[in-house]
Amino acid sequence: MYQEQWLFSAPADTGERRRRSDAAPLLAELLDEATVQGIADEAWLALVGEAEVLVPLPGEPVTDPISSWVEIVGPWNGAVVLTCDRTTAEELARCLLREHAPDVLDPEDVDDALGELANVIGGNVKAVLPGPSVLGLPAVGAAPAPGGPTDTCRIDVLWRGRPLTVSVQGPAGA
Amino acid sequence: MTITATSFDWVRELVHRESAIVLQPGKEYLVEARLLPIARQMGMADVGKLVDTVRQRPDPDSTRRIVEALTTNETSWFRDGDPFTTLTSTVLPALQASRGPHERLQIWSAACSSGQEPYTIAMLLEDALPGAAARVSITATDISREMVQRTKAGRFSQLEVNRGLPAPMLVRHFTRAGSEWEVSPALRRMVTASTCNLAAPLPRMGPFDVVYLRNVLIYFDLPTKQSILRRVRELMRPDGWLFLGAAETTLGVDDSWERVVLGRSSAYRPLKGA
Amino acid sequence: MRALVIDDSRAMRRIVSGILEGFGYEVRQAGHGREGLDVLEQGWVPDLACVDWNMPVMDGLQFVSAVRANPAWRQVTIMMVTSESEHTQIVRALAAGAHEYVIKPFTADAIRDKLALLGLLPEGASL
Repeated sequence: MYQEQWLFSAPADTGERRRRSDAAPLLAELLDEATVQGIADEAWLALVGEAEVLVPLPGEPVTDPISSWVEIVGPWNGAVVLTCDRTTAEELARCLLREHAPDVLDPEDVDDALGELANVIGGNVKAVLPGPSVLGLPAVGAAPAPGGPTDTCRIDVLWRGRPLTVSVQGPAGA
Repeated sequence: MTITATSFDWVRELVHRESAIVLQPGKEYLVEARLLPIARQMGMADVGKLVDTVRQRPDPDSTRRIVEALTTNETSWFRDGDPFTTLTSTVLPALQASRGPHERLQIWSAACSSGQEPYTIAMLLEDALPGAAARVSITATDISREMVQRTKAGRFSQLEVNRGLPAPMLVRHFTRAGSEWEVSPALRRMVTASTCNLAAPLPRMGPFDVVYLRNVLIYFDLPTKQSILRRVRELMRPDGWLFLGAAETTLGVDDSWERVVLGRSSAYRPLKGA
Repeated sequence: MRALVIDDSRAMRRIVSGILEGFGYEVRQAGHGREGLDVLEQGWVPDLACVDWNMPVMDGLQFVSAVRANPAWRQVTIMMVTSESEHTQIVRALAAGAHEYVIKPFTADAIRDKLALLGLLPEGASL
């Protein structure tokens, strides 16, 4: 929390409640849906495929979800979480690996590819936020459901007609 | 899918001819995705219609827009290298020897696109010439108003700064602006951007010491190439330097230029008395 | 020409290795900085090292410092390939001794352009 004080140059008497209320609008100014969409678009264009687009439309809720995420620790603490269904995750892994993709993907390949996408989006989200911050290593599994009360900023998109969300969740532990 | 095999082949040939970039078979979806916005802007329903129209009545503007849409993110800093490195190794010393210490250097980037070329020139000169900001003015022009706006803004995406911009130059001349990178105010002050149609009579500009007219003559027929080169020469100092694209030359087009080999590329200088 | 690709993501290792192999490089891979140093210590000294930043065991910045601390490895050109994209991070990496910096996400063309800048693009691989 001392880092938060450093960031906002808060006076010594600034209380917990005051800091929280200051943090929210500032973060929203720095990081809006358009910024997250722009970052995700570039990741898709470069890594998934040059004609791959994320259509900014919410789809059906994900039925068999898998999430990957990276934590950001610094003046702002939180996580960048990518969530889709398993079939979508496998398709993403194939796109990333292109001609190197094996006939049968093992689950580690899928986790690794989804984790790397979270890392790429997370690193670029971190650069938009006030720093200095540290990016954690990617993790894969069941993350807090996107759309929960901790979402700071979230985009719901369709990729090849399938739903996918990118959510910036935090402030964690505040 | 509105694009036919014939239309796709035509686009492939066009892109290969003008940019040396090969669109592999199976990239029909890419052609569709990138050209649809252009078709819509030109009031056409689909990409097939756009291709048919441009095939029947070729015009340089539409052709260039098609090629650029399909080669977007292909725009590199220091594109082709030599025309930029020779600016500071050869051209600048020659100009400094023949110009007074307080004389302004005027440079024209004549098809500036999204601004990589004029800012590459600005970075090189700021690093090589003390007091460059006060001595150099770079005129950046493009036929597209959108490209001129982008050049003025001096903002580039992550994917764009990844393309051939040396990391030491990125950190020296750019700052982060949200998810983009913004060129420094000092460089932006050196660059003035405006629209300009090279195929029409040119506005009063110059006289220029150096002109970059790269990868744009290829879109025009021979008589138009000749008139563009003649008008450009009229805006240049007699001892100025002209850089063309790697696949372009004045040879066989306009014989009033002298070709000078610089490294692996060439520059052209107005022939005296021509 | 030899290249060492260090990244904790195997997908990313395959992507970067595939691009470099396409340019004719002989490529070895490592999952973190320590594994990368092992390769060098075994005597396989590459012309180019492409290094991620955030990795377990030993991160990319520590790897860069370790390589630069050994004069025998002076010939190794180091290019960071990472999603770390703040201005300050790029400055840190260059100060530690990295020559170039590619921000993820990147395209194959971005790698090619950087290799051309570094003079590490083999002849005939320029297009």
